[in-house]
Formats: sequence, C-alpha cells, structure tokens
Amino acid sequence: MNALIGRARRNPVPFVLCGLWLALMVFVLSVRPGMVSESTLRSILQFATILSLVSLGQTLVILAGGAGIDLSVGGNVSLSAVVALLALQAGVPGPMLPLTCLLVGASLGAINGLLTNRLGIFPLVATLGTYYVYSGMALAVTGGGALSNVPDWALPWGRGSIEALPLPFITLSVPLFIVAFVLFGYTSWGRWIHAMGHNEQAARLVGIPVDRMRFTSYVLCGALAGMAAFVSLAWFGSGRPNIGVNLELESVTAVLLGGVAIFGGRGSVVGVIAAVLLIVSMKTVMLQFGINALWQVGVTGALLISVAVIDHRFGRGVR
Amino acid sequence: MSSTRRELVLAGACVLSALVFASASPAFGTLDNLAVIFRNSTELLLVGLGMTLLLATASIDVSVGVALGLIAIVVGQLLQAGFPTPIVALAGPIAGALVGLVVACVVVLGRIPPIVGTLGLFGVFRTGIFLALGGQWLSGLPSDLTELVDYPLLGLNLSVWVVFAAYACVWVMLRKTPFGTHLLAVGHSVEKARLSGIAVAKVRFVVFVISGVLCGIAATFFVATYRNVEMTSGSLLALEAIAAVVLGGTSLLGGRCSLLGTVLGVLLLRLLQNGLVLIGVSSLWQPVVVGGLLIVVLVGDAIGGRWLARRVASRAA
Repeated sequence: MNALIGRARRNPVPFVLCGLWLALMVFVLSVRPGMVSESTLRSILQFATILSLVSLGQTLVILAGGAGIDLSVGGNVSLSAVVALLALQAGVPGPMLPLTCLLVGASLGAINGLLTNRLGIFPLVATLGTYYVYSGMALAVTGGGALSNVPDWALPWGRGSIEALPLPFITLSVPLFIVAFVLFGYTSWGRWIHAMGHNEQAARLVGIPVDRMRFTSYVLCGALAGMAAFVSLAWFGSGRPNIGVNLELESVTAVLLGGVAIFGGRGSVVGVIAAVLLIVSMKTVMLQFGINALWQVGVTGALLISVAVIDHRFGRGVR
Repeated sequence: MSSTRRELVLAGACVLSALVFASASPAFGTLDNLAVIFRNSTELLLVGLGMTLLLATASIDVSVGVALGLIAIVVGQLLQAGFPTPIVALAGPIAGALVGLVVACVVVLGRIPPIVGTLGLFGVFRTGIFLALGGQWLSGLPSDLTELVDYPLLGLNLSVWVVFAAYACVWVMLRKTPFGTHLLAVGHSVEKARLSGIAVAKVRFVVFVISGVLCGIAATFFVATYRNVEMTSGSLLALEAIAAVVLGGTSLLGGRCSLLGTVLGVLLLRLLQNGLVLIGVSSLWQPVVVGGLLIVVLVGDAIGGRWLARRVASRAA
C-alpha cells in the first residue's frame, strides 16, 4: 500500500486517469445501465487499437528526448495504407500486405530519423514538413478516392473478436504494450532511452549511442504507424487516403495525457494506454448519448491542460 | 549573416518561381493576379507576424488557426446583427486580445509547455467553434466590412496599410524599445534573462496577447474577404504560419527572428499555391509542395551550414 502511495505521489497521472475512467463508467451505469455491454466494450477496443499503436510510437519518440516529436504519424498511416495497396495492385502477393505496410511505415519513419538526427533539423519542423508531404501524397496519389483491393483473408482478422475482445487489439496492441512495458522497465535499452531524455549530456558521456537510438525510435514509430495502417485496412476493408487525419494531435494528446514529459525522460506506457482508453471511451460514450464527436475534442483538450497543470503542481519529486 | 543569406535565397526563389509560372501561364503574370496573391496572403502575414514573435521567445502556438475561426464567428455574428462597421472592425482585435489572454493564462500562468497548452486549447477552441456555429455555416454576410477593408488609400487597400503598420510597429518594438531586447533575451535563454532581472513571465504573457490581437485583425480580414465562416475555417493556418516563419529563417529555439524573412516565406507559399493552380496542377498536390519546400530549405540549410563550417575550419588551419 505504501509503495502504491509513493508511486502515486511520484507519478500521479495514471491514477488520475483511472479515477476519471471509473467516474465515467459509474456515470454511464447510473444514467443508462444498458450501455455497459459487451458490444460497447468491443467498439471501444476496436477504435482504441489504431490510436494505441500510433501513440506507442509517439511515446518512444518523445521519451527519447532531444525535443523529439513526430507530427507526421497521421500522414504516415494514410500513406502506408495507400502505398501498400498500390504495391498489391502492382503485383506484390496478397499475403505480403502486413509486411509491406510495416516496411513502408518504417521507411517513412527512417526519413524522419534522417532529417532530425543526421541533418540535425528540429523535430517539430522536420516532421511538420513530412506531415504535409505524407498526408498530401496519400490524397494526391489516389485523387482522394478509396482503394478497395484489400485481400479477403484480412477481413476476418480485422473484424473478428473473441468475446468482447477484438482480434487486432489482443493480437497486436496488447502484446506490443507488454513488450514495450518490459523493454522500458527492465532492460538497459529502456534505461538508456529514459537517461538520454532526462540528461542528454550525461547520457553521451557514459557512452549511450544517443543519435543511433533516436534514429531507431523514429523508425519504430514509423513501423508502428505502418501496423496501424494495416489494422485500418483489415477493419474497413478499404484504403482511405484520409484515415490518418488528426492522429498526430490525438496521439500527442494521449501521450502527454498519459504523463509522458514533453521534453522526454519521464513517462510510462501504462499511463499512455490508460489515456488512450480514456479518450476512446469518452468518444464512444458521447456517440452513444448522441452528443456530437466534436465535444470530445474540446473535453480532451481541457483534460490535457488540467492534467499538465496538476502534474506541474503536485507531481513533486518527478524526474 | 546567415539570416541575410536566407532572405536573399527566399527572394530569389520568389522571383524564380514567379518567372516560371509567368512563362507557363499567361494568367499568372497579370497585375490582377498579383493583387489576388497579396490579398490571399494578408491573414497569413498577420498570423505569421505573431508566430514570429512567439518563436523568437521559444514559444509556439498551434491553436492560432482555430482561434482565428472562433474570432471570425464573433465578427461575423456582429456583422449579421447589423452593428455599425467600425465597431465590427474593432471587435476583431478586441476578441483577439481576449483569446490571447486566455492562451497566455493557460500557458504562462499554468506553467505548462506552450506546445502542450496550445494543443489542448486547439481542441477546446474547435469545440467552441462547433457550439457557436451549431453545425451550420455563417454565410452570406453583408459586404459593409469588405468595403471598409478594401477602402482605397493612396492607391492601396486599407488592409495593405494595416499589414504594413503592424510590421512597422513590431519592427520598432523589437529594435528600438527595451521590451524588444527583453523579448529576444527571453528567447535566447530564460535562465540568463531571469538572472538579468527581466520579468520573463510578463514578457511571454505580453507576446501571447500581441499574437492574439494580430490574429484578431486577421480574423476581421478573413470575414471581409470570404464573407462566410464554416467549421474548418482557419484550421490549417497555424501549421502554415509555422512553416512560413521557419522558411523565413526564424529559429524554433528562440532568440533570433527575421520579419522580412516571414514576409518572404508567406509570399513564397501563397505564390506557389496560386501558380500551381494556374498551371493546372491539382490542388491536392499543394500540401506536398508546401512540405517539400520546407524540407528542401531545411536540408539545404543544414548541409550548407556544415559546408560553411568546414570551409571556415580549413581556412583557419
């Protein structure tokens, strides 16, 4: 118990988020009990899959410090989906679709890594530039229309579920978050990421390959965006060039809401997944109450601001 | 030094692309079209001026675009309600100052990083726009404001003079007043500025309010030009402004800014957007061109900077 209190004092954010989520559930249960059902849970987790994958990549980039941020994730998701389907049209065999998405996403991420690390361009502007290029290309190449040549075998996976748990969520998001949790918490690689985000100078002096690891974080972020693209294809059954719109803002919001410090060095994937679930739950509950989804944008924004202020005021001893 | 180089490169790029477009499309090189380009630039010029000051203090505001949409609704509704034109015209900057005050309170008083705070406000303002419009467009607004903004004065429209005046005021403030020096000092190093006795929070607060006022004027021009406001009005403007200001050579790290660079950056963006449409490139390609230009300039800057540094080093040896 004492350990829990100590944890809460050091990093209050995940606890605040869980409290808010419980409050939301209690509210829904008391107002409309029938809504807390398997199908609601399924649609929450379905929507959460894409955002959770993208947010995980964003977490990695922001944690690694050096003012790292990836504004191009949304464009990356759209472009990966479009390019992978075009590759299929050009003769790449259908079963290669997931791998193609992954590779395209990782290459787009590698471009970000090159710009920010090799050429030393400030990440916010470099990825702002690639955001324009990636999202613009996805629209321009397709002329704005959707591509529909998603192979049939992908749909049962993308739309299937075990009880209330959608397959993409339990086969991709859950394992990847567990891997990330272990990686960040229990390996030297994770310690390095935190160390370089916390104090770059010191990290370099003790011999951590800072530039190489930051480059890797952008590539991984891109690869995760590519996976999110595949999930969207398998779920919707078509490749829409605007599928990634707003994902950059949503993912940055989820990451910061999850208690990751914007300058890197502090944060946990537990907070991030909690934030993703809170955001998506709010969205779903509002939709079912017939409230316009734009309300959720404002509530998320206000939440982000309040969490940042609370974190600054009460998150003493945080590093 | 390097800032002058950047301005020359940008001016060259403007002239070069103008020549290319003019030879490809007879409609481009006309005086009317140049007037259209400038007119399309006015809002971005004003928002970009505010963004230049923000970046110079190592701040940023990703919510200015939606803030413009929100203020435009206020202006539009006053216009529709039939208030006298001067009052409507003044309502823009006043509403802008209030919005700037809100942003400043959140970011400076709340002591949270500007990117986090303004990202949150981006969402809040979007919902604000949705509530104010109720899902409908504000359209078919009366033309009174348009007549005022286009009022010819010494051969130029009133809006052009307002943009000139705004840049002149900011230039004087930066170069000739202690506040301008403080502003750049805060952007250079918050620690050093604080140790020198500069009221850092006050400076940052005022810059957000100035940016808000400029955004308010831009919103007035927006209403006057388009005479309608919709849900997505202005939503791209913040990113465009950041792109234009960075193109102009202002550093995101603060402490350094170029007003002329911002003007040239904005004009280059708008010139390219106008020219590409005229030579028949689908407007879907526009963001690709904007982003590509930004990346090319930044990469050129990075490689050129290294090359120069190596040359200086080899000369010294």
